[in-house]
Amino acid sequence: MASIRLSPRRLSCAAACAELEGPGLGGMVVFAGRVRPDRSRVGRVAALDYDVHLAPAARALRDLARLAERRYGARRIVLWHRVGRVTTGEISVIVGAACPHRAEAFAAARFLIDELKATVPIWKAERGRPARRPRRPPSRERARGSG
Amino acid sequence: MPPDATVRLFGPAREAAGTAALRWPVPPEGLAARDLVHALARAHPRLAPTLRVSRFLLNDELLTRLARRVRPGDEFAVHPPYGGG
Repeated sequence: MASIRLSPRRLSCAAACAELEGPGLGGMVVFAGRVRPDRSRVGRVAALDYDVHLAPAARALRDLARLAERRYGARRIVLWHRVGRVTTGEISVIVGAACPHRAEAFAAARFLIDELKATVPIWKAERGRPARRPRRPPSRERARGSG
Repeated sequence: MPPDATVRLFGPAREAAGTAALRWPVPPEGLAARDLVHALARAHPRLAPTLRVSRFLLNDELLTRLARRVRPGDEFAVHPPYGGG
């Protein structure tokens, strides 16, 4: 059973864990990816804009879930990705897998995030912080200590 | 049936062209996807490098042959290399 979500709404690890609950599922792995304030060509990254081709992306996520069920015996799967602007520190993606044992759960979650990045039509663009206005040089009077 | 096809641009293609979608005139008998890609590159030179590394979808189906014809009313999508997460 897979929960698939492409949405501008905030993502929650607690909600993902709740989706992965099920009888006999002894191993549950949740991976959350967050936006980092890296330095880049836009300056300090303030946000990422995620562009998604919705219908093909949803189909690709469903295919991925089916593959993980077949390959790793995952019985519950979460594949959630934000759409639109995500600011630094926020979660942009959550993948999760629940299996009877931990080894398969770890392998399935790793497979899901790696394949999501490589095969699902989602793109991100970095957005920087607005440049700070340069400080005004001190006036001659202020520099002399007048006033 | 509208006389144009819709070209949808995603990710870096959208940034290069400055728009998410273009209306593109195609003849009633259609236009080979390869010819549409060449025409796009000529009309939007900043898009050309992205087109060289992109994949293309016709009505949400991945195109494996660029000889397929794009007809009026079709949706043609440009998919640069993916980068979610």
